[in-house]
Amino acid sequence: MSISYSDVGENLRKIVITGRLDIPGTDSVAAKLEALTAEPKKAVVVDLSSLRFLASIGIRSLIVCAKAVQQRGGKMALVVGDNSSVTMSLEATGVGDLIPVFKTAAEAERAAVA
Amino acid sequence: MGAVVNTTPRRDELTIAASGAEVRRASEWLSATCVRRDIPQAQAQQLEICLNEVLANVLAYGGSAALAAPIGLQLEVLCAAEAGEARMTVSDAGFAFNPLAVKMPPRPNTLAEARPGGLGLVMIRRCSDLLDYRREGGHNHFTFGTRWTRD
Repeated sequence: MSISYSDVGENLRKIVITGRLDIPGTDSVAAKLEALTAEPKKAVVVDLSSLRFLASIGIRSLIVCAKAVQQRGGKMALVVGDNSSVTMSLEATGVGDLIPVFKTAAEAERAAVA
Repeated sequence: MGAVVNTTPRRDELTIAASGAEVRRASEWLSATCVRRDIPQAQAQQLEICLNEVLANVLAYGGSAALAAPIGLQLEVLCAAEAGEARMTVSDAGFAFNPLAVKMPPRPNTLAEARPGGLGLVMIRRCSDLLDYRREGGHNHFTFGTRWTRD
């Protein structure tokens, strides 16, 4: 399980999560994810394309972060690539209708900073 | 899907303790078993999502009896040449809880309306083709399953 980030300019933060966002995986990264999205970057892109599994506890964490970004006037977007497992989890919950989901990082970054 | 009715089911079983690490072990066991039983990838992913959510509910809401007792898992696979069905039953000693009796909340229209919790049951319902619940011998027995056809 790993979480890393890089900042692009003043307004964009890119976060990459790998491993499994199941119970133990989410427990190990949720606090860091919330801290990374709490900082005053307008746009946040979370790349889930290398995630092996996404459970509801992980989606819950993503929703909490997306709401925090929105409350300070920013946008959060997700990248899933061709990850069918993560896409299935997001579609099952309808979260993709609330947090924009893109196949590529470039699309997500454009949407987040728009 | 009538083609699988008369086939002999193949059963695999696992017993786990009630913990997050054990949920992951169950998930890995399920993935490996799905490969061994030739369950298509999409259906295997559906089963894995449901299993994680069912076990997460047991851990979160089953109470002390659920946490103290082992949790039984049984995967039953029926495969015919052109169709298949896989059913997973999770048996726990927690409070009586019928997930099928829970009314689903309306989907939020905006992120501001969204509440972080309550997604597990939504995922179980959307990722399964069959659901069943019974309370027997002081245990919850919750079954979820998926069906497929082959070209």
